[in-house]
Amino acid sequence: MTPTTADRAPMAGMKVYNLKLGMWVFLLSEVMFFTGLIGAYIILRFAHPEAFAEPGVVLNVPLTAFNTFVLICSSVTMVKAFAAIEQGDQQGLQKWLLATILLGAFFVGVQIVEYTILTGEGFVPMAESYHAIARGAAEGSAVIGGPLYGATFYTMTGFHGTHVSIGVLCLCFTLWRARKGAYTAGSLGGVEIMGLYWHFVDLVWILLFTIVYLI
Amino acid sequence: MATGEGHKAPPYMMVFGVLAVLTVLEVLFAFTGLPKIWLALGLIAMALWKAVLVALYYMHLRFEPTRLWVMALVPVPLAIILVAVMIKEIFTTGSGF
Amino acid sequence: MGKALDAGGHHDHHEIPWIRQYIFATDHKMIAKQFMFVSLFFLVVGGALAGMMRWQLGFPSQPMPGGMILPDAMMAPTPNGAIMLPEFYNSLVTMHGTIMIFFAIMPLLVGLFGNLLIPLQIGAEDMAFPRLNMVSFWLAVPAGILMLASFGVEGGAAGAGWTSYAPLSTSGEWTGVYLGQQLWLASLTILGFSSLVGSVNYISTVINMRAPGMTWFRMPLATWSLFVTAVLILLAIPILAGALIMLLFDQTIGTGFFRPEVGGEPLLWQHLFWFFGHPEVYILILPAMGITSEVLANRARKPIFGYHSMVLAIVGIGFLGWIVWGHHMFQSGMNPLLGTSFMISTMAIAVPSAIKVFNWLATLWKADIHLDVPMLHALAFVSMFIIGGLSGIFMANTPVDIYIHDTYFIVAHIHYVLFGGSLFAIFAGITFWFPKMFGRMMNEPLGKVHFVLTLIFYNLVFFPMHNLGLRGMMRRIYDFTQYEFLAPLQPMNQFITVFAFLLIATQVLFVINFFWSIFKGEKASENPWDSNTLEWTVPSPPPHGNFAEMPMVYRGPYEYSSPESDTDFLPQTTPPGGGSSGVPEPTPTPEGVEA
Repeated sequence: MTPTTADRAPMAGMKVYNLKLGMWVFLLSEVMFFTGLIGAYIILRFAHPEAFAEPGVVLNVPLTAFNTFVLICSSVTMVKAFAAIEQGDQQGLQKWLLATILLGAFFVGVQIVEYTILTGEGFVPMAESYHAIARGAAEGSAVIGGPLYGATFYTMTGFHGTHVSIGVLCLCFTLWRARKGAYTAGSLGGVEIMGLYWHFVDLVWILLFTIVYLI
Repeated sequence: MATGEGHKAPPYMMVFGVLAVLTVLEVLFAFTGLPKIWLALGLIAMALWKAVLVALYYMHLRFEPTRLWVMALVPVPLAIILVAVMIKEIFTTGSGF
Repeated sequence: MGKALDAGGHHDHHEIPWIRQYIFATDHKMIAKQFMFVSLFFLVVGGALAGMMRWQLGFPSQPMPGGMILPDAMMAPTPNGAIMLPEFYNSLVTMHGTIMIFFAIMPLLVGLFGNLLIPLQIGAEDMAFPRLNMVSFWLAVPAGILMLASFGVEGGAAGAGWTSYAPLSTSGEWTGVYLGQQLWLASLTILGFSSLVGSVNYISTVINMRAPGMTWFRMPLATWSLFVTAVLILLAIPILAGALIMLLFDQTIGTGFFRPEVGGEPLLWQHLFWFFGHPEVYILILPAMGITSEVLANRARKPIFGYHSMVLAIVGIGFLGWIVWGHHMFQSGMNPLLGTSFMISTMAIAVPSAIKVFNWLATLWKADIHLDVPMLHALAFVSMFIIGGLSGIFMANTPVDIYIHDTYFIVAHIHYVLFGGSLFAIFAGITFWFPKMFGRMMNEPLGKVHFVLTLIFYNLVFFPMHNLGLRGMMRRIYDFTQYEFLAPLQPMNQFITVFAFLLIATQVLFVINFFWSIFKGEKASENPWDSNTLEWTVPSPPPHGNFAEMPMVYRGPYEYSSPESDTDFLPQTTPPGGGSSGVPEPTPTPEGVEA
């Protein structure tokens, strides 16, 4: 559109290209979003320790530890996809992207199964109908924790799951573009910012898993 | 543009190994029955270690210009201020605000 | 004005379809105009809501003229006319605040001036992500529609105040508003996402798209303030979004975050809201300060006094804004130690603000002041901001705040900074950059009449409110005459109401001037104000892509009345020694590498 002479380049403020800078800036706001959610959880837990259960009593730690492993694997496949296109390897890019999509979708699937089991045990976000019992205990045992437990749990993990789901959709789009040959070793911005988002989601889960399931 | 050109490929698989091992260690550590405060500190230390590894190697922060990772640290003090002030209020007013 | 947009003689671009040019536009100048029209519309809506509130306060429980056209859910019909219902008054208070802050002032300052000025002032052809910019605008529109639609739903619009304190806002049992409150929450969440997308764009653009030679300390102060504002939006809005979503869950699916009856913490809402809310205050004033700096330096024909200290003050305010939120909560039973720290940090903010005021005054000192409309509004900004800032220091003191908390003193303060501050700066900015937007000047005499009347009526409306507050009149009150000690304040309230109506009526002059000037105003040259900054080196209005050739920047933005030049201004693109009487310097290349 506008003719610009080749020797007149804009100032390289951040020394990275616009798309990557934009993604990083967006991720900063994501940090603040999860700060709000996790911060609320920490505060409520400090204020009402009795409303929360010890790790493993209500939540299924082995299942989620496995799920955490799945998500870490998906980070590796994502970074492999990026490494492949860095070498100009189109086949490798598509293969690893597909693997990432499958692992991401599997993570969401496991989360849905987990939700189904937990709600069946009375562990729900609604304050008035909360009646979680210890896993494996008989019906009618004492209620574990309190309404805040369910609310914070589902809000935090649910928003993370939403981020993963959006990530899977974006990955599908990236794969579609990759199959059309949109990325090359010299033009891989789309793959790189997709990777940044995906690793960020993984990073948030690492923190959430520790804070929500293990502490 | 490609971050991989100026340096040899980052140790992706080694980082993956460390992340996997730390995850197992975390789960084991969580059920050791230590006092809550030590459990919490140890777990948070391990989680932060993992998070930093992901940011440095998978998000390539280690290979980016200094100004980019300085920018990436901007929200951290704000997050600490928010949570610290609210915790301070809880501890001085007993249970609840 | 279709073809007039291409007046720049820009021949090599393809014809853009009408819908891409005016509706789903990606050009930052068009998006700026879209934001301007939509938010000026909301300014009118917000003003109308304020007018109805003033009627109830000036003439408590008397039939409101024209009230019969409003539905029975808002007004109680009587033989003499319709009387306002208390529930409707609550909605008015809430929606006036919400609409003015989120849908009028914020999009005017950030959406209009951010979009218009950032690329033009740094010498970029457009934003870093033009399509994302379009998304930002088209998210704001449905948010606005949702907000307005809430007036029509059962139970009326949200009525828990613009701060929506829990537990008042957690359930319709307390306010009688169910769906309206949920629409309010959903609308603000969407609007927050829109602002977020916009600020990602502004930040990336300023960091990465500056023309060669446009170093950080050669950026005009308007761009500086908009940049810091974008950072505040980026980091504050997500906190609000999180809180809004939690409150929405409390309302809809029955979680208990903020509901004390099931163990939730109402104060958590206040902390999260004000952790967002105080940076928001600076989001609403920093761009106004930037606009004022531009106009003052230009119309005083002098370099801005202490450019570096101005920049540092903006950044300082931007940082301090994060550690003062507790001063909104002195009355919440906060730990006294924390209260004291918040009091001190709040007072510390007075330092950078005072530096700015001092620099503005020093800029005016012995200057060749041109008293045209933008300058008048900018001067009004400085004076009104001083009044608003001083009353702010009163309230920062915990003991004083305990006395005046939630009274009309607070109402006076916020209107002195938001109306007297931001809105006067918006008038200054619109008049100043109107030629750049539409290629025509605004009418000067009409503008002066509008300014003088607005300034007088505005002070007559809001200054007495300090007095009302000190005499104990609480804000957000439907009928203050029910209290014996407040009943004597009725004449003063009536006085305020009369001038509030005059103030609203005066704004018609601005609307007339605005639309008349778009079509019939005097044609503007490229640089009608003899300004230095880059937006005045391109045609008015600038063509698509702004700059025919990427500009080179050699100097700071405020070199007015420089001895280097015969004229009293020296555009940023003039090379050293380029002023006709200047001494040639040996380094004609811009220092383009280090930022």
